[in-house]
Order: sequence, then C-alpha cells, then structure tokens
Amino acid sequence: MNQFVTLFVGGLFLGAIYSLVALGFVTVFKATHVINFAQGSVLLLGAYVIARAHESVGFALAVALGVLAAAVASVLIDAVLIRRIRRADLGTLAILTLGVDILLATELSRRIGTDVLNIGAPWGSDVTEVAGIRVATSRVLAGGVAAVLVAGFWLAFKFTDFGIAMRSAAEDGEVASLMGIRLNRVAATAWALAGALAAIGGLFLTSFPAAGVTGSVGLLALATIPAVVLGGFDSPGGAVLGGLIIGVVSVLTAGYQEELSFLGRGLGGVAPFAVMLLVLLVRPSGLFGTREVTRV
Amino acid sequence: MSRWLGAAVVVVLLAAVPIWFEAFWLQTGLFAMAAIIAAIGLSILVGIAGQLSLAHAFFVAIGAYGYAYLADRIPPLLALVAAVLLAGVAGALFSPIAGRVRGIYLGLASLGLVFLGQHIFQNATGITGGYRGVAVPPFSLFGFEFTGADGLVVLGVPYGPLEKLWYLGLVLVALSLWYGHNLVRSRPGRALATVRDSEVAAATNGIDVVRYKAAAFTVSSMYAGLGGVLMALAFGRIVPESFGLLLSIDFLVMVVIGGAGSVGGAAAGAVFVTALPLILNHYSGSLPLLAEPGSGGVGAAEFSRLLYGAAIVAVLLFARDGLAGLVHRKERVV
Amino acid sequence: MRRVGLLAVVLAFTVTACGKGGAEEEPAKGSGEQAVKTGPGASADTITLGYLPDLSGVFAPNGKSQMEGANLYWDAKNKAGGICGRQIEVKVQDTGYDPQKAVAAYQQLSGDVIGLGLVLGSSIVNALLPNVQQDQMFLNFAGWTSDILPSENVAIAGTTYDIEAINAVDFLMKEHGVASGDTIGHLYFEGDYGENALKGSKFAAEKHGLEILEQKITPADQDMTGQVSAFKKAGVKAILFSAAPPQAASLAGLAASQKLDVPIVANGPGWTPQLLTTPAADAMEANYFVVSSMAPLSVQSEGVTKFLSEYQAKYPKGTPSSNGSLYAYAGAQIADAALTKACENKDLTRKGVLDALHSLTALDTGGTVAGTLDFSDPASPPGSLVYIAKVSKDAPGGLEALGEPAQAADAEGYSF
Repeated sequence: MNQFVTLFVGGLFLGAIYSLVALGFVTVFKATHVINFAQGSVLLLGAYVIARAHESVGFALAVALGVLAAAVASVLIDAVLIRRIRRADLGTLAILTLGVDILLATELSRRIGTDVLNIGAPWGSDVTEVAGIRVATSRVLAGGVAAVLVAGFWLAFKFTDFGIAMRSAAEDGEVASLMGIRLNRVAATAWALAGALAAIGGLFLTSFPAAGVTGSVGLLALATIPAVVLGGFDSPGGAVLGGLIIGVVSVLTAGYQEELSFLGRGLGGVAPFAVMLLVLLVRPSGLFGTREVTRV
Repeated sequence: MSRWLGAAVVVVLLAAVPIWFEAFWLQTGLFAMAAIIAAIGLSILVGIAGQLSLAHAFFVAIGAYGYAYLADRIPPLLALVAAVLLAGVAGALFSPIAGRVRGIYLGLASLGLVFLGQHIFQNATGITGGYRGVAVPPFSLFGFEFTGADGLVVLGVPYGPLEKLWYLGLVLVALSLWYGHNLVRSRPGRALATVRDSEVAAATNGIDVVRYKAAAFTVSSMYAGLGGVLMALAFGRIVPESFGLLLSIDFLVMVVIGGAGSVGGAAAGAVFVTALPLILNHYSGSLPLLAEPGSGGVGAAEFSRLLYGAAIVAVLLFARDGLAGLVHRKERVV
Repeated sequence: MRRVGLLAVVLAFTVTACGKGGAEEEPAKGSGEQAVKTGPGASADTITLGYLPDLSGVFAPNGKSQMEGANLYWDAKNKAGGICGRQIEVKVQDTGYDPQKAVAAYQQLSGDVIGLGLVLGSSIVNALLPNVQQDQMFLNFAGWTSDILPSENVAIAGTTYDIEAINAVDFLMKEHGVASGDTIGHLYFEGDYGENALKGSKFAAEKHGLEILEQKITPADQDMTGQVSAFKKAGVKAILFSAAPPQAASLAGLAASQKLDVPIVANGPGWTPQLLTTPAADAMEANYFVVSSMAPLSVQSEGVTKFLSEYQAKYPKGTPSSNGSLYAYAGAQIADAALTKACENKDLTRKGVLDALHSLTALDTGGTVAGTLDFSDPASPPGSLVYIAKVSKDAPGGLEALGEPAQAADAEGYSF
C-alpha cells in the first residue's frame, strides 16, 4: 500500500511537468491549428540557455532568459514560417514544424556534445517529506508551479480579452477576424506561451533527480504526446489531466514491473501509448476533445 | 513512338546499372526502392484517403519480420506473398480504430502502434530474435538463388545478391507504381478522394465510408509490407531499431515533400529522403566546408541532418504541392 | 530537349563506369627482404583503416569522443613513421546508429580498407557481419557484449558485460556484505548491453543463492521513480546498473532521497565524469562503483599516463573518457599490434591481418585495458580482468581504482 501511494504521488508530480508541456501543445493547436513537433527542441533550447547562463547571471535571471529565449524562438517559428502557409492542411504544417525541430535539435545537441549540463537549481538534491512520503523538493516545486500556471492560464482564458480572442479564433478564424480580432497577434501570443511553458517544463525535467541537460532531452516532449491526445487536442483541461494520467501510468508500470512481467519487461515507455489507444477506442476525440459533429 | 523509345532506353539503362555501379550505389538504390514501394502506400492513405498515419514503420516491420520468419519454412516467393498479406491483415485489424478516429487523432494514435511494435519486436524473441534480430533468408525464384553462390558473371561483373536483388526491386517497384496509378484513377480511388474531401458527401453518394477507410488502410499496409520485404532482403539481417519512430517520420516526410496523393511524387520523395544522407556521406570527403569527424565543428553527419531539415522547410514553403507539383507546373507552362 | 536529357544520363553512366569489380590481391612484388604481400587497403606507402562510429545518432557525443582517441593514436603513430614503413590512413563513415546507413557506409568503405578500426553498436555489427566475414576483415567492436561471440572477425577490447557483472556480484559479496538469500536489483537497458549484463548477474546469483530483481528500461526512460520504489519495496541489498549516465544520476539521486542506502555497481558505459556536476554527485560519491575492463583515468599505468598527456596536448579543451576516447585509443593499439605482426609475417592482406590478430596471445596495452589480451580463441573475450573503481571527486576522470585489476573465480565456469 505504502509503495502504491509513493508511486502514485511520484507519478502525479512527474505528470504535473508533462501537463505544462502538454498545455503548450494545446494552446498552439487551439490558436493556430498546428501540431507543433518543434516543442521538444524549444524545450531543449530553454533548458540549454538556463544551464549555460546560470553561472554568470545567477539562477533566477537565467530562468528568465531561458523562458524568454524559448518564447522568442517559438514566436519566430510561427511568424517566419507557419504564417506563410497558414491555410495549408494539418499534415503539411505538422511536417513543417518537424523540419524546424530537426534543425534546432541537431544544432543544440552538437553544442552540448557529451556534456551533461547542470541546470544550477538552488534546491539541488533536497528532499521534502510529506506524510511519510519522501519526494524530491524540485518535484514538489514543479507541482506547485504547474498548479499556479494552470490556474492562471484558466483564469486568463476565461476572463481576459486574450482568452476571448483566442477562443473565438479557435471557433472560427474568419468570423473572429471580421470581428476585429487580430489573428496574428493571437497566434503570436499562443506560440510565446507554448515556448515559455516548454522552457519551464524543461527546467523541471532536467533538475534533480534527472542528471541535467543532455542532447536527448528534447525527446522527452514526445512523452507528452499521449497526454495531449488522450486529454483531447483542443482541451487545456484535458491536457492537464492527460499529463497527470501519463505521469502516474508510466511510474506505476515501472514500479510494478515484476508483477506485470508477463506483458514483457520495460513497459514504462510503452504503457502511455497503450493507454492512449484504449482511450481513443472509447472516445475518438480524447476525454475532453470537441467531438466533430456532422450535420447534414 | 518516341515515347516508347524513351521508355525502352530507360529500361535498358536501369537494367544495366549493376554492370556499371559499385555496391554502394546498388545498396542505396535498393533501400530507395523499398522506400518507394512503402511510400506509395502511405501516399494512397494520406493523400487520397486523407488519413494521416505515423504507423507506417510498424507495417513495414510486419512485412520484413513476416518474410524473415516464413521464408525459412515455405518457398521464398510464397513467403513474400504471405508477408504482404500479413501486413494487410495487421492494417485491417487496426482499421476499426482508424475508422473511428479522425485526422490528427488518427495520426498520433497510430504513433502508439510504432511504440507497441518496438516493444513486441524486442520481447517476442522466438520470432524476432529480440534485439539480436534475425537473418533474412535469401530470395529464390523457381530454383534461381538470389545469392552469390552460383558464381554467375555477366559481362565480366560477378553477380552477387545485390546485383540480382536490383532486378527484383525494379520489378516490384514497377508493379507498385502501375497498381498505384490504376488505383488512383479507378472507381474506388475516386470514392476515397470523395471520402477525404467530405465524408458526408461521400455517404450521401452511397459510398460506405467505414468500409472504404478500412480498405485504404489495408492496401496501404500491404504496400508497407512489400516495402518491408525488399528492405529485409537488402539488409540481410533485420533488427527492431530499424523500424522505429524515425522511419515513420521519414515516410511521412517522403509523402509530404513528394506531394501528397501523387504516386510519382511519393516515389520522388522516397528517393530524396533515403538517398540524400547516404550520398552526402559518400561525398563528405570532397565537400570542403565540412569538418573532419572527431574534430568538432559541423561534420558531414550533422550537415546532412541540417540539410534534411532545411529541405523539408524549403519544400513546404516554396513548393506547396511538393516535388510532384513542381513537375506539373512545368508541364502546364510548356 | 528530351534527347539532351537522355544524352546527359548516358554520359553520367559512362563517366561513372570506371572499373567495377573487386580489387585483386597483388602478389608480393620486389624481392628478398622487402617483399610484403598486400591486398585491398594496403599499398606501398599507406594502410587504410575504416571507422564506422555514430556521429549523428543517439551515441553521437560518444562517437566524437571515440574519433578523438583514434585520431590521437594514429597521428602519433604516423609521426613516428607508421607501420611497416607505411602511413596509416583513417577513413570515417558515420552510421547514425542506423543499420541501414551502416550497411551502405560499409559498402562504400569496404573496397578500400584492410579492416575496420571501430564499429559502434552490436545491432550494426550484426548487420555487417555477413559481409565482413566474406571480406575476411577484422572488426574492432566498440561494445563489450558476448552475444557477438564466437566470431573469427571481431576483436573486443577487454572482457564482456556479463563477466563484468559476475565480477560486480563477487565484489558486492566480498566487500559489501551481500550474502546468500539476499535480493539485489538489476536496472538494465533493453538490448544487447543490458541484457548481456543481466545474463552474467543471473549466472552469479544462481551460483550464490541470490535473488535478482529485474528492472528493464529503455534509453527514453529518464525518471527512475518507479524503479527505485520497486527496489526499496523488495529490500534490495545492492543494485547492479547497466544503463547510461542520465539514468545513473536519477537512480542514485532518488535512491538517496528514498533512504535506500545501498551500493550501486555499474558497467563501464554507466559512467561519465560529468555526473559529478549533477545534483546527484554526493549520492554517487557515497555509493557508486564502476566495474570495467577499460582503465579508470586515474590509474597510474604507462599506457594511461601516455594517453592522458597526449590527449591534453592535442585537445586542451576536451574531456577524456574511458569508454570514448580511451576506448578508441586502446582499439587502435590492438589494430596496431595486429598490423605490425602481419608486417613481420610479410602478409598485409586482410586474411594476413586476421591471422596476425589471432596469433596475439599476450598483448599488453600498458594498462589501458585490464590485464593482457589473448585473441587466439574466437569463442571467448580476449580479456577476463576488470578494474573496480569508486567515484571520487578528487580523482582524474572522477574514478579512483580500488586495487589492481582482478577476476572473480566464478567467471571460470561461465559459458558465453
């Protein structure tokens, strides 16, 4: 029982980080209908900038720089590339971001080389004990930051002009622009937010207990794809829940590997995708995704 | 008349390739041919039926492993056919999900198949050999072995497995292109295009949408399976790592930069994606800009990766209909 | 217009049509003392070696480090006059850790080289082996798995992961109080490396009445929360580790945070000096050990000292590593020995080099690889000794060797 609780809590905290990255995916998709495969390398860029900068400017400023760099890079992808072919179909746009991802990830991993860059977080390897369960302090912080960001996001989405603009852009772009909403500005804001969320996700994915920033950190964003899909691609709430589910599932399958060994060992990486397929069988648009209703 | 003459010259030139070219070019050519066949299948699915799939590598793997397993037990030609059918069955089994799930959800759901496949290929050691992989039995046709054992020499060139497989590849590619072209223009092909453009319109025209989608998935998987068999033969030994996410992404890139929905475009995309890194590597010694491997700086490998990324971006931005679109545009001008 | 196109194609064919067909072995020319038989990859003034590292795939950083080591060795060798009066030329092709690229790269190299100085990855070696056997080349395998055995063509620098794991268990029982009936955890990668190590640990466990709690992961798994919790629940007395540095940091850090205070013993690839800059550094210094036939850089042997001083002279900004640059350096030592021997036998053909390799029964690398290496039996790895080292912030390369290279008695009855 104790093991289950430990695993479950550990999974939730890991899932909180996935939620942030997944939220970035969904924001971009809602505002511009792009599946952004470059999210992984933007995450790596954010983490890389933090790791390189923290020794000279201090941790807090380094985080600000990393978040800024990721946000700017993300906006540039939209403004320089995506905007030119905004009307292209989903597949084309997705492959375009994939091309960008290959470029950015190749250059960053070349710069990192064999290094394992320390992210320089002041909480280091501290551990927090809550009700007999010991969790890395960085994970607790990640959970807190994620909760605050998600709540802020929700409020902004519901009550600010940006939120209304974005929702109407997602609903029907042409009508929205007729109503005087500047779609390009909405798009840029959404991409900037996604970049910032990726950088923060990257910060926590590379601090303790992870080793640090390596060339392959960008691949971690792949783990959030099942989260986004099973939550529903256009649902921010779904992305958050999806992230938590994926975190818990992957930690639980790893922790109970011995009991699950009849399914083959090393399930931790596959289980999220299997869960995703099962959910899609029952709900083809994910848990909270808008169902396409066809009226004749 | 001159068209037939041109075709005949092309056939003769292609048939003469093994006499002139080194093993490297044959190997690269065979990998490209395998990719062409599989990419045609994906092009039918994505471009014509409008279903995005990232699972293609999985079906390619089914074909490859299916052949490697069966060819030890039944004649290789039968094993080839059976492997293709097996891939088709796998596609049909996945089609209930494909039929229910649409567009982007399908694309990303199919990603799950690739990861599940990796897990299965690594763990079903009895059939796949696990991480060690399996040796692929050589092809043979009516007693003619596709190996170097018979010591066949043509015009002074010893004909080994690569030289012989080259012809098998040519035949399979020709058949695949021919079938693909016909399918696109046939009634089912037009029905699929209607399904892509509007499922509602298709349904009101009496097209059984679910059945057609399932059929598209099955045909596409069979193409993947055939590509897989040729890939396995070109390798001689297959390991799970060859059929991962990167291969699936490569296929999607082939189809998109070739021009989705165009059979010829998919073939061009396949050649571009498969051969570019191999050829860049080949000439890396003579490209002055590239750093020596191990000396830091941008080496040939990174350069080829960067070029690959840049090519994707450039084609999508400046040649919206892909490579096939470029050709058509030119034709229209002339 | 079409004609011109056709003409261009035909021209292209003619231009490329330059002598296809394998290079024939040249009979010994000259007379008396000077006559050395040569074949593909050896001419009157050069010997060409092929290198197939991963420079763009998942192991690209390691691949670059390996090429540093190889270039270091051969540059020095060429300055000192080369081998057999010939300069050594290194031809490099990237495999991207992709068997498809590797097979094409091999086809490209194979006509021009006498042997392969380094090939990374056993899936790639497996894919190349049919061709390599046919061409009678030797192949230096950058990897230490016994799956590849027996093979006439493959040379391994030192011993294999399974033997390392057997030695690790022996070390835990002798030095850390692990006793019969205890459970030890084994965290390993899916694939050749991890599963080969697991074979060794299972053998040792059976022999000593230990239980092994298996935890298999893939390189994509970077968070060990679930695994550590499973180890803690099972009350493991020690953990064997056969994965990569990112997982090592997560494992050691989380084990410490869960108060799972047990020794962790890793195979060679589980260590990189950069782990000391991670937040898990303290946990690693307390409990982390490495068992490997490649020397820790702190070993004061002639070979390692020479390597380090040459390395620092050539790459002042680089970081030497045991299973990167030092490994390729040691691999070059082995190739050097085989080529030198083949020269003495007056037979610089591929077959001649392969035979020369098998005639090396006590190759001393000056300590870069533990013990002396015996290449005469293709069915067993050339070495059986391992270094056991402890993480230490003060030691060069972060590892401090515990005693001289040793071998567990258990390894005797083990079949590969």
